[in-house]
Amino acid sequence: MADLIYLMMAYAAFWILSFALIFSIFSRQKKLNNEVAMLKQLINDNSPQD
Amino acid sequence: MVSETTVTTKTGSDKWGILLNSLSAVMILTGLYLAFVFASPAANLKAPAEQFAQRIMYFHVGSAWVGFFAFFVTFAAGITYLFKRTFVWDNLANSSVEIGLTFMTMVLVTGSIWGKPTWNTWWTWSPRLTISAIGWLMYIGYLMLRSAIDNPARRARFASVYGIIAFLSVPINFMAIRWWRDIHPAVVGASANEGQGGFNMSDRMTFTLVFCVIAFTVFFATLLYHRMRLGKTEHEVESLKQQILYQ
Repeated sequence: MADLIYLMMAYAAFWILSFALIFSIFSRQKKLNNEVAMLKQLINDNSPQD
Repeated sequence: MVSETTVTTKTGSDKWGILLNSLSAVMILTGLYLAFVFASPAANLKAPAEQFAQRIMYFHVGSAWVGFFAFFVTFAAGITYLFKRTFVWDNLANSSVEIGLTFMTMVLVTGSIWGKPTWNTWWTWSPRLTISAIGWLMYIGYLMLRSAIDNPARRARFASVYGIIAFLSVPINFMAIRWWRDIHPAVVGASANEGQGGFNMSDRMTFTLVFCVIAFTVFFATLLYHRMRLGKTEHEVESLKQQILYQ
């Protein structure tokens, strides 16, 4: 088991970094989608009424 | 190259995204199986820790390939932006750096972990490792440069030039183990006399390595697709804010 420790550490690093990047992209996307919806609502609210 | 256009089905789902996600997942998991089970052990490595650690190579080399390729994409997109001055090329360059940097971090971390049982050290200032660390810092600088400039056009222009210059680190990094004395072994071609931890690859090992490099390329394409969609949304937010400001 001790001989496998380096192998396990390296692959754990790969998965941790991969999921960190994936999570970062998707959470930023979600936040920006909400911001876009809010800004569009603001534009609609402020546009002159006929 | 990955297109920014999203193709949606009638239900509104992202067809390309789902396809790329699925393909990536299958290929990476298959690569994992090949690396752990299918690939034969390196016969010339005697210590069990070193033999097991050798299997790090398949993901270490795959990560390095993606890192170098991502920085090449930034280099090419930067040149194209300077000619065309359209947002899509700046988005491609920026997205590629973020992904490339993540993979280069994987390279440095997995390489360090592999180095301990092989070279009995976590780190050494050999040409390859030093240039890898410098390259990593240069691309951190790329992201810092972008965050320091508010004006989108100026940011894109400066980042393009920086990305073109920073790419010089990649071919130098690749050739470092061939030009100078280095403890890092060569995967392709002969190692220097000082190279430690190298081995002759069997057919199974070669197949596994090539498969993992392809799998990582598909994974890169998937991440790039999603990161570029994010960049497009960031651009949309900037445009909407401008619209509100001048309403």
